[in-house]
Amino acid sequence: MKLDLKSMLAATAVVAAAGTASAQGVGIEKIGLAVPNLQADFFNQIKLGVEGYAGKLGIEVIVVDAKNDTATQVSQVQDLITQGIDAFIYIPAGAAAAAVPTRLARAEGIPVINVDREPDGEPGDTVIYGENVLSAYQVCSHIIGLAGGEGKMVIVHGQKGTTPEVQRFQGCKRAIDENPGIELVAQQWSQMWSPDEGFSIAQNMLQAHPDVKVIFGQADALAMGAAKAVEVAGFTDQIVVGGYDGDVAALESLAECDTPFIVTATQSTQAMGVLAVNSAIAVYHGASVPARQIPNAVLTTCDNAQEFVEKHP
Amino acid sequence: MSSATADSGKKFRFKLPFSLGRATGPLIGLLLLCAFLSIATDSFLSVRNFLNILDQVTVIGIIAVGMTFVILIAGIDLSVGSVLALSMMVLGYLNVEAGLPMGIAIPGGLAAAALAGFVSGLIITEFRVPPFIATLAMMSIARGLANMITNGSQIIGFPPWFNMGAIIRHGGFLTMTVAVMLVVFVVAVLFQRFREGGRALYAIGGNPEVARLAGINVKRATVLVYTMCAVLSGLAGILLAARLDAVQPSIGFAYELDAIAAVVIGGTSLAGGTGGVGGTIVGVLIIGVLRNGLNLLSVSPFLQAVIIGLVIVLAVAAETFKFKGK
Repeated sequence: MKLDLKSMLAATAVVAAAGTASAQGVGIEKIGLAVPNLQADFFNQIKLGVEGYAGKLGIEVIVVDAKNDTATQVSQVQDLITQGIDAFIYIPAGAAAAAVPTRLARAEGIPVINVDREPDGEPGDTVIYGENVLSAYQVCSHIIGLAGGEGKMVIVHGQKGTTPEVQRFQGCKRAIDENPGIELVAQQWSQMWSPDEGFSIAQNMLQAHPDVKVIFGQADALAMGAAKAVEVAGFTDQIVVGGYDGDVAALESLAECDTPFIVTATQSTQAMGVLAVNSAIAVYHGASVPARQIPNAVLTTCDNAQEFVEKHP
Repeated sequence: MSSATADSGKKFRFKLPFSLGRATGPLIGLLLLCAFLSIATDSFLSVRNFLNILDQVTVIGIIAVGMTFVILIAGIDLSVGSVLALSMMVLGYLNVEAGLPMGIAIPGGLAAAALAGFVSGLIITEFRVPPFIATLAMMSIARGLANMITNGSQIIGFPPWFNMGAIIRHGGFLTMTVAVMLVVFVVAVLFQRFREGGRALYAIGGNPEVARLAGINVKRATVLVYTMCAVLSGLAGILLAARLDAVQPSIGFAYELDAIAAVVIGGTSLAGGTGGVGGTIVGVLIIGVLRNGLNLLSVSPFLQAVIIGLVIVLAVAAETFKFKGK
């Protein structure tokens, strides 16, 4: 039986590559996808990745959007389970409450694939997240290098306590520690990773520290908001801004290269969606998957942004 | 005093047909919605899904009861979501960080909420600040305090039975959290129908000056109503903490809008003086069933937002037309 499944999986992978698989080869019919917030391009890209790939395999995908509210997400997951999903791709909304949806799905024996964030104390069958530490280190090294390795720096954090927020800071801190000339003068946390938060947080920081030379926004939306604040303040020539994620809008802006925002780390979001679907199929059939699957992000500057604009990884 | 009885007697005569009339429209809407969903999707009509819906409306249902009383006296409370978060954070702090038993932590959370509501009430009655502004201020204050408790971080690590209270269905039906909601509903309906205090709210909403002249202590009643609304928000927060098995200060964002929507869909007028808890319960269920049904039908999240907005417009517009017609 086990051999059967394995060969079936292998077959699935092959046909999937050819893009002509049918539902019969896969064994699952319905996947539930719980997303924190579709306004964020990052999650939207994952959704597109999941839907596009699952569509090719003939799997129905039911998407629910929690609008960043953990309680809404718990309700939505109950509804997904009522609809008889065969596998559950779960991106926890916010930092808290992540454990309950996993428990609900586990109680029904439904495989749980975590993407981007992992609940405390209640891990899914596998977690897929972009490598954060090394890429954040690369982004920060790049902007610090452009500033000549010295001067004041500020960081606009993402939502406090989430995995990407913690790890991106960890990576960036390493770059800061390697450059004794860099002084981290201010840090502030956003609630929703949104551009307007990036704008207002950066504006206040620039007010307090007009001599800042380096800004790291932990997501492209935050970084682009911060870059706008830099432009408004008239500091365009003095400050470099680094971001993270490789959002579509950010990549387009980088390709134009006409703002202080000049580097990001592009995550393979669509590929993560595909990986999530494949993992769901594998776990459903009892095959083992690695506890952590961590695709790398690619350092993206004005020079190589254009290729990602044409085809998002 | 005799004028008071006359007044409330008059209210009674108007009230009964109104309360039924105002709640029947939404009730018919709810039944039609259920009938449609039962046909449109085979996963809707089951005991289990119905219990899920009750689970899902617990928090907003309890908040909406408090909001109904506030709106009945022609007020508004924008702080309910923040007060809910404050109560949750106090609960989490007392139980997990300070290591106190739930027997102290739960009353502690409720007390923090009550204090917030009491202060709102005082600002409204003593300083004559409009309720919209006073509770807007409290929304900001309570949210800030909730964030200060842990500097923005979440708290996890409640005792296991706490989360089980929201998951285990006793006798196959009632979770502890849903049971609490049902008790709140029953007590609120009984209070509003049969207690003098409940009747007084209609008089205050109709005309506070007349109510005052009729011997109702309007100030005291107003402070009590805002305090009660905050306590119910706090209670909803504690149930939410049980459901999520975690607390975080950013929770409850924009819940006041959901609660107000439920009250308005249920036929309570924002002008005060007409409507009631019965209609609100129907309003809460309409929102709950609608969200659940749209999820079950796999309607895109973007389209869901549009549909929910349309239903609110439809419900209120239908009432307006009905009254024009009379």
